[in-house]
Order: sequence, then C-alpha cells, then structure tokens
Amino acid sequence: MTRPLTRRELLERATLGGAVLTIPGFLAACGGGGIEGSGTTTAATAGGAKTLADKLVMSNWTLYIDIDEKTKTYPTLEQFTEQTGVDVQYIEDVNDNDEWFGKNQAALSKKQSVGRDITVLTDWMAGRMVRLGYAQKLDKSVIPNASNLVDTLASPSFDPNREYTLPWQSGLTGIGFDPEKTGEITSVSQLLDDPKLKGRVTFLTEMPSTMNLMMQLDGAETTKVDKTDFEKSIARLQKAVDSGQIRQFTGNDYSGMLAKGDIWAAIAWSGDMVQLKLDKPSLQFVIPDEGGDIWTDNMLIPTGGDVFTASTFMNFVYDPTVAAQIEAYVNYICPVEGAKEEIAKIDQSLASNPLIFPDAATLDKVKVFDAAAADDPELKAMFQKVIGA
Amino acid sequence: MDFLHRHRRLIPYLLLAPGLAWLAVFFLVPTYYLANTSLQTGSLDVGYALTWAWENYSDAISTYHEQFVRSILYAGIATVAALLVSYPLAYFVAFRGGRWKGLLLLLIIAPFFVTYLIRTLAWQTILSDDGYVVDVLQTVGVLGDGDRLLATSTAVVAGITYNFLPFMALPLYVSLEQIDGRLIEAAEDLYSSKVQAFLRVTLPLSLPGVFAGTLLTFIPAAGDFINAELLGTPRQSMIGNVIQSKFLVLTDYGQAAALSFVLMAAILVLIVVYTRALGTERMGV
Amino acid sequence: MAFVRRHLLSAYAFLAFAYLLLPIAVVIAFSFNDPLGRFNYTWQGFTLAHWQEPFGPPGLQDAILASLKIAVLASLVATALGTLIALALVRYGFRGRGVTNLLIFLPLTTPEIVLGASLLTLFLNLGVATGFWTIFIAHVMFDISFVVVTVKARLVGFDRHLEEAAMDLGANPFTTFWRVTLPLIAPGVAAGALLAFALSIDDFVITLFNAGSTVTFPLYVWGAARVGVPPQVNVIGTLIFVIAAGLMLVNVLVQIRRPKGAV
Repeated sequence: MTRPLTRRELLERATLGGAVLTIPGFLAACGGGGIEGSGTTTAATAGGAKTLADKLVMSNWTLYIDIDEKTKTYPTLEQFTEQTGVDVQYIEDVNDNDEWFGKNQAALSKKQSVGRDITVLTDWMAGRMVRLGYAQKLDKSVIPNASNLVDTLASPSFDPNREYTLPWQSGLTGIGFDPEKTGEITSVSQLLDDPKLKGRVTFLTEMPSTMNLMMQLDGAETTKVDKTDFEKSIARLQKAVDSGQIRQFTGNDYSGMLAKGDIWAAIAWSGDMVQLKLDKPSLQFVIPDEGGDIWTDNMLIPTGGDVFTASTFMNFVYDPTVAAQIEAYVNYICPVEGAKEEIAKIDQSLASNPLIFPDAATLDKVKVFDAAAADDPELKAMFQKVIGA
Repeated sequence: MDFLHRHRRLIPYLLLAPGLAWLAVFFLVPTYYLANTSLQTGSLDVGYALTWAWENYSDAISTYHEQFVRSILYAGIATVAALLVSYPLAYFVAFRGGRWKGLLLLLIIAPFFVTYLIRTLAWQTILSDDGYVVDVLQTVGVLGDGDRLLATSTAVVAGITYNFLPFMALPLYVSLEQIDGRLIEAAEDLYSSKVQAFLRVTLPLSLPGVFAGTLLTFIPAAGDFINAELLGTPRQSMIGNVIQSKFLVLTDYGQAAALSFVLMAAILVLIVVYTRALGTERMGV
Repeated sequence: MAFVRRHLLSAYAFLAFAYLLLPIAVVIAFSFNDPLGRFNYTWQGFTLAHWQEPFGPPGLQDAILASLKIAVLASLVATALGTLIALALVRYGFRGRGVTNLLIFLPLTTPEIVLGASLLTLFLNLGVATGFWTIFIAHVMFDISFVVVTVKARLVGFDRHLEEAAMDLGANPFTTFWRVTLPLIAPGVAAGALLAFALSIDDFVITLFNAGSTVTFPLYVWGAARVGVPPQVNVIGTLIFVIAAGLMLVNVLVQIRRPKGAV
C-alpha cells in the first residue's frame, strides 16, 4: 500500500476534523499526491474484491432524502446500516453543480480522492465527470435492482449503458405562474413577448433548463444541439433581456418572488412548485406546449470512492419500497419502476400527483437537453454573456 | 526585558512577525498559485498549462471594462452612502453611548448573525413590489407607478451599502470615541456654532476613522458579486460576477485569475491616490 | 425648534439603527411563521413550534456550533496578530513599511472565490485535509487585515505622553503596554475583534472551498435555500443575537453596581 504514517501525520489527522477519517480520505492525505483514479481502497475494486467498507460517505443535495424530523435521523440510511452493517455519513453539501465541481476540481485533477463514495450530480455535470475520468465504473453485478430503472432514463447520451451513473431523482422544468395575474399561460413565448408580463418574468441561470425551453420555441432539436439554432435562441433571449421583459435570471430564488407576487411567471422546477402550491394554491405549473425539459440528478462514484460499497447502496435504494419511502419525502420524480405502487400504500395523493409521477403524455412533451452541449465552453460563454457575467 | 532593551530595534519586527508569517504562508503562497494560473490557458478536457498567456490580461481589460467601471462606481456610491449613514450613528455611540456602547456596537453587527442570504430575503420582502415601502414611494412620487425597487441598480447599491455598514461604522466609532469631549466643548466656546466646532475640531480628528472605514468598505465592495446576483439584472453585473462565472461556470481559471489581478491592481492604485490625497502620516500609512 | 436640534442626533441615530435592524425585525417575525410547505416566504400563521425546537432540522446544531467556535477562535487570534502589526506600523520606523502595508491591503482586494480556491490548492499540495482547522486558518487570514486597519485608526490619534509618563514613573515597556496602552486602545481592539467575528460568522465563499465535510451556518443556510430555509434558521439567528445582547446587558449592569473609581 503506502508508507506508514509519520507521527506528524497522526497528529494532523487527530486535529484536522473528520474529513480524513474515511479510507479514501486517509489514503489521499497519506499519499499526498498520487492516487490512481480507479479506486485503490484496500485492494478492492481493481480485481473486484467484494468486501464492504465500514463506512459510506455520501454527498447529496439538500432535502433529497427522507428525514424523520422528530428524531433527526434518516430512516433509509438507518435501514441500510441495519441490513449491511455499513455506517453512512450523509453530507448535504451539493448546492450547485458548478460549485461542487469548483470545490473539488483541484483534488480531482491531481487524481486524489475527494473523500466521497457517492456524489449526486445533474446530467451534464455527471457527463463531465465521466468524460474526464473522475467517475468510477459501477459494480453492476451487485446492482440487480438497476433493472428497475424507468425506460426513459435507461440510456442517456453521456452514459449510454449506465456504467458510471444511476439516477437519483428527476425533475421537470416548465413554467410556474400565477393565473390570477397572468391568465392562461401555455408557452414560453408569452413570457418573452407579452407586454403585460414585462418585468414580471424570470428565467433560470441554469443554461440547460433555460435553453432547452428557448430552443424548442423555435422548433429546434435539443437532444442534439446545433450551434446555429442555439445562437438564434440566444439572440431572442438577449432581446428580451435588453427590453427589460425578463426581470432577472435566478437560481431557485424565483420561488420567493413568485410566492410574494413580485414575479408572475417563471421558468420553474417541478419540485419547487409542489412546495409553493402548498403556500399559494393558485399557482400553477405547466409544461410548455412546444416542449419542456426533464433533468436528472445522478449518483456516481468519484475518484477514491469505494465501488463495492457504493454499488451496494445504489442497489438498496433501487428497491421499489425503499424508493417509495424516499420519494414520499422528497417529492421530485422517482426513477424507480414500481415505486408508484408502493407509495400509494403510504399516501395516495402522492401517487396521483402528476409532478411526482408524471403520466406518459407529460413525459412525451419533455426532452433531455444535450449533455455535451450543456458543457460546451463556447455555448456556455454565449449564455453567460446574456445573463450578464 | 533585558533582551528587549538591548535589541530595541528588533521590536517592530517581533511585533510584525507572527501576523505577517500567517499572511505569508496562507495568503502570499496562494497568490503565487493564482499568478501562475493567470498565465495559463487550456480547458478541463485538455488540461491547463503555463503558456505565459499575457493575453488573459489584455482580454480581461478590453472585454470587461464596463463591469470594472461599474464595480468601482457602485462601490464608490455605496461607500459614500455608508459614510453618510454611519457617521452620525458612530458619533452617537461614541459620545452619547455611555455604558451602552458595547450593546450598541453589537446591534451594529447584529445583521451578520443571520447570514447574508436571510438578510437579503428580508429586504426582498420589505422592498417587495407590492409592499409598503414601494407603495409609499409611489404615492409620494419618488417612484413612478409601474416602477419597482428590486432588480435595479438602486437595489444593488443599497444592498452593498447595507451589508458593509458595520465596516464603516466600527472604524468611525473607534476614531470618534478617542476624541476628548473637552476639546469639543472648548471649540464650542470659541466658535459661533456647533456646526463650526464639528467641522473644525471633530471632523479632522476623526479622519483616521473615515480613512479606515472608507477603505474597509470600498475595497471589498468593489469585488462583490452576490448583491448584483440576487438584487440586480444582467445590466448591473459587476466584475465580481464575471470572475465568479469565469471560475465556476466556464472553468476558465486563467481568465478568472487575470481578472482578479487587474481588479486588485486597480484598487491598489486607487488606494495610493486616496492615501496621498488625505496625507499619509496622519493615516499612519 | 431647539428641541429638534438638541435631539437631532439621537433621532438620526435612532433612524439609522432602525434601518440597520429592520430586516432583523422581519427575520424575527418570520421565525414565528407557520408555513405549510418548506418555503418560509409568506406569512401563513403564528406558531411557537420552531422556538420550542430550534435545532429540529438535522445538521443545524452542528453547523451553528462550528460557526461560533470558528468565529470566536479566529477573531481572538486575528485580533492579537492584527493589533501587534498595527502597533508596529504606527509606532515604529522600520524597513519594509511599504511592503507590510501592501501585504495588509492585498487580501482585502482579492475576490473571495479565487482566494478560496487558491488557498485550497495550498492545502492540497501540503496534503492537509480540509475541515474545521482549515476554515479557521482561512478566517484568521482574511480577518487580520480588517483588524489592522481598524486598530490603526485608534493608534494614530493616540497620545503618547501617557505612556511616557508611565515609563517615567518606573514601568517597563511590557507593563506600560499592559496597564496603559492596551486599556486606552481597547475600544479599537474590541471593534476590530467584533468586525473579525462578524466576518467570520458570515463568511461563505472562502469557507465553501476550504470546509471539507464540515458545515458552517452560512453553508447550511445556502444549502437549505435550494429547497426552503427552515424557520429555525431565523430562530437561531435571533437567539445568537439575544444571547450576545444579554451578555452585554449583564456587563452593563455589573458596571452600574460597581462603585466609581474601582478598577
């Protein structure tokens, strides 16, 4: 393996807080500069060794797993520990794909472990991780439940055989609006052109979401993006910015504005709308007639993660009962077949909520944005210019 | 004690050593890495290499001069506004605060206990398009009927001003509190009005505080990005937003670093000019 | 009219404090809100539930404790280091004054994101794992400059005759510093410490890069914002302020009861 710890390193380890206490983290600090990307945890994955680690460290977005608010514990994770004996350290430190990547890029580029066995990133960022070799191959032999993956997500462009990633939750991007102020809204063109809505509309800083909707307005193909089409849509977007039609580009702070009535329509995410409708039932969410956007946050195993343990966990959460349990709390879109039936046993209203279990008609109207285009430097630069950065 | 006596001349260096050492290791070394990065080109896929890419700098200035100017402008206005609000506030705490000074100072930094995001959300509630403040301003005529306060340059500058108030108020307080009240009394005896006494005695004596406060407000404000991001439209974007975008979204680390150095240089030049204008010795520079 | 003029300053100060604390009032108000969903944007009803269980959301307690610990430690260390530097700059002539000033101002001018990322690179190269102590190191680093500038404002107008008098009476430099100088510059040092504390407890960007798996209060809030900041965050913010104010109040009361002239 590596040389024994020096006393200095032992002391460092003792004082520097928990980040090093995972096996990958330990090795990273130990080696200091050269861990191979393919996972060197205790002679495991290279030959496909099948021992579970003592601990699984998982990074995820906030409120993306079920929590028992009374006891402050995570039921799903506790069940996993009971079943397998693996402790789970769950860290909600993914706020934004670029932010996560920016934080971890230095370590990843040096092929060092980032101290996580699983991290959850959106399609195009997952695609980047795979492309750059920062994601390890899943051990599919221990994920038989992967066959429960819904068909629509089975073969994305950035990971056609789902060798590196498995969806965690999906979400829809559409238009959230207040019909009392706007009347009926069915298309993004209304947001761009209706003078009544001037200054009362927000779009997202997330390029794939916004441009997927913009480009479909012009009838362009978005699963495989053509640069000229993109430029055309950018120009149209720029016009709306210049005229003041679009008030701001936001992250998900549009939700506050919509709730307070500062904006009347926004390009919005389905999960947010589920929560907003509780506060303001009059709010509505539609997939634009011309087409909407579906995105997925995917589990993957970054450099230094324990492949066997992580894969075992993935298998666990792909069991329909477990998936239903998670879904009942999270309220985004579940990627696991069979969860709908299970969740009906917990709460029928959730099973019939089209924002959590969209029907075939809805799914037909949404496209997955071209992951490669979402990460293309030239296209990104054009978009950043429009949003003013 | 003897050691210190004999080695008098070492004293300043001993005083400086611990702090400067900390900065040398944890600031200068990272800055060296940054300088290195600023001359690199490349991308995530092909990797980054030191190519002595001076064009990172020239591109930075030519493409983004609008944001540079805007940042200096916004920071400048916010600094002046902060000074106007904070000076009487600090004066009050220093001269009328009495036993309650500590508590009043705590009140000044209280907003920082709730994190930036929460305070901004609160302001967004207060300045909401349909809220009281906007209503009143529209009635009075300051705002037109269809106008708003949020998502404007006013909101951005107001946000910067608000969030940097303590940085102005505390140094002002520090300087004002030191002024002997009897000097002011004497001045009032000599001059015909309180205003004159203030202008001739108090204000000059408080200049070190003004100097410190304006620097501690202006400098970080110029590089701010978050107020423009949450309270502004694309037309209010500052250089901080560009750097943020270059670094995080476009992973163009070379340009991000170059932009940072240009900003740092611009601010340093302004500091030098400002310091000369106010008189270096008096400011302890 | 005379009444107005006499109380103009107080009135203005009151308005200024009102301006400063208006958002805080909103924050406190919303800590009593009872939203149906996860967002806390619109008023929906009064409840004491969040106050009864301020640490309900998991991770909140750890985050706030981490932030407080780091803020206290970092402000103490930064204040000490910064005050020493300020003393050197104002009191003594020495070679390298310009360089020192440069080194003090530069951190202020550097955008947080590149500073945070570069510092992380340093830690990676040194093989230091990120976490509590790296956050502490980062916070001290950017706090020092603020302390130096603030304390300098105090020292510049300082009357040295008092120190000379003390030394004439037989005090050595150390005693003079401890008994005469320090008490007189205490307001400046205290203000510097307060500023450093405020900066540290509110820092987001630099902390983000150097936190490892440690979560501080700002990191927690930004993370939660994606899905809805729980009202308990409002409660915690209010609590910190109330407790700190309470301590100050106790201090004031103690001073009132102490007879004048006692040390």
